[in-house]
Amino acid sequence: MDLLLDSVRSALLLFLSFDQELVDIVLVSLKVSFSATLIAAGFGIPGGFVIASSSFPGKRFVLTSLNTLLALPTVVIGLLVYSFISRRGLLGPLGLLYTQKAMVIGQVILIVPVIMTLTIAAISRIDQRYRMTALTLGASRNQMALVILKEARYGILAAVIAAFGRVIAEVGISMMLGGNAKGFTRTMTTAMALEYNKGEFVLAVALGITLMTFAFLVNMLFHLLQGRTGSDAV
Amino acid sequence: MLYKLDKLKRCHGSRTVLNIDTLEIDANRIYTLIGPNGAGKTSLLKILALLDKPTDGSMYFLDQRVSFEERQLYALRRQIVLLDQNPIMFTGSVWKNIEFGLKVRKVAARVRRQQIEEALELVGMENFAHYNAQGLSGGETKRIALARALVLQPEVLLCDEPTANVDTENQEIILNIIGRINRERQGSIIFSTHYLSQGQRLADHTLLLQNGALSDIANENIYRVSVVEFREKYCTCQLTGQLFLTLPNHLLPGKVSIVKLHIDPKGIVLNPEEKDSVEGNLMSGHVTELSQESGRIRVVVDVGVKLVLIMALAKYRLEKPCIGDKVQVFIPYSNTFCTGMDPVT
Repeated sequence: MDLLLDSVRSALLLFLSFDQELVDIVLVSLKVSFSATLIAAGFGIPGGFVIASSSFPGKRFVLTSLNTLLALPTVVIGLLVYSFISRRGLLGPLGLLYTQKAMVIGQVILIVPVIMTLTIAAISRIDQRYRMTALTLGASRNQMALVILKEARYGILAAVIAAFGRVIAEVGISMMLGGNAKGFTRTMTTAMALEYNKGEFVLAVALGITLMTFAFLVNMLFHLLQGRTGSDAV
Repeated sequence: MLYKLDKLKRCHGSRTVLNIDTLEIDANRIYTLIGPNGAGKTSLLKILALLDKPTDGSMYFLDQRVSFEERQLYALRRQIVLLDQNPIMFTGSVWKNIEFGLKVRKVAARVRRQQIEEALELVGMENFAHYNAQGLSGGETKRIALARALVLQPEVLLCDEPTANVDTENQEIILNIIGRINRERQGSIIFSTHYLSQGQRLADHTLLLQNGALSDIANENIYRVSVVEFREKYCTCQLTGQLFLTLPNHLLPGKVSIVKLHIDPKGIVLNPEEKDSVEGNLMSGHVTELSQESGRIRVVVDVGVKLVLIMALAKYRLEKPCIGDKVQVFIPYSNTFCTGMDPVT
């Protein structure tokens, strides 16, 4: 109990003192996670839409593969990307290892299946009559796709929120591809892991509380956006 | 010629839902498509709306063969609008819903405004322009969907059961709008319905559909009966509960346990004086409904099931059956038709 109270007190002190190191850690975490979520949404939403609204041989296999990828451990992604971007890897000359870009690449691979799978679920739930109505009113295929995306927006936004939650909380990829360099690739999760290894449990838990607070604030922002979209309906 | 269908088939897996040998539909007319559930009305309307592709056969729209290739469909669809049986509203206001089709056609904002106002006025819903479209009642949704279709001034308006699931007030409004549109804009309208009387009231032509094919049998007096006993010349069929019919074996399509029985409403005789010369079934029941349609009288008699009779006006004036009267009805074998369903196991 003392540990928790001390941690909460430490977290508050960290907040109030605007500790530069904490600010850097939070900013790196948010920058990397937002970038990864944005890029993954750029691939995942259109990809999910195409898979959901078309029928092709092997669709079931694709869906099963995507569902399997949801369980992909971050360490496996870390190893895979490492093998490409390490000095001896195919992309070694680009010097990506231990950079924020490498972390973003790994995190994008982690959450594209999340966004795609949840987008497919959101699109599949949309009533077929929307498609028919848009077409009979003279819409082109692209205009019809926009109608479907608009109607499925809550489900798609939920997919993006879930993906953001997944990347802000992951540690494996950040540690393996970012290297936990102070002020550069150190995120809240890697900092927590470091403090734990040092035996600084209070600081580790305080960072955990900070992470949860920021995750909560970001989710609130998403939900506010969702709510506003809903009330903007008319 | 508006539409021409030739040996058109639509199958879902091994099941044929539509099998039309030939059908020609003229422009600027109202057609009604009548048939029971599962007759293929919606399937046919979807194909006519170019929203579904036939499995086989050919279709011509305005004397142009429809290839069902996306580019051609996109152009042709702009002349046809299908009003769904349960229309769905897009997220947004009533105004935005009606505006959708005009926007995709890139109609100028000023013209759009005027046309939307006219369409709302036509369906009597001017005050609903800024309501949330997804918060409307069933009848209101149908009227707004009708406005959303009419604002596009299509060459053909297809309506799938436009009066289903709405109250009588909205039914009348919708039917009146359909009639008015045809009169004022000379538009072609094809609408499906379960109700023969409703169809015949509005339409210039009636198309009857049975089991996916065009038929000359109306969808009234169709029953699913069990053949309970086969004898030398006749068999006994159970219509319902304690209601049995005798039918000559030759009427049945073979040794079947279940048949679909159709009794022609025009051939049923009310209170027969003599029936000796003609073979058939005699039943008693009560008159439950009387209505006039196309110069004839439609009498509904409850004999254990609802049985519809069509009487000539002159005969009605002689007999004058009233609601609640106990009557006898005679169903000649010659007015009874069967289609086989399940063979005897």
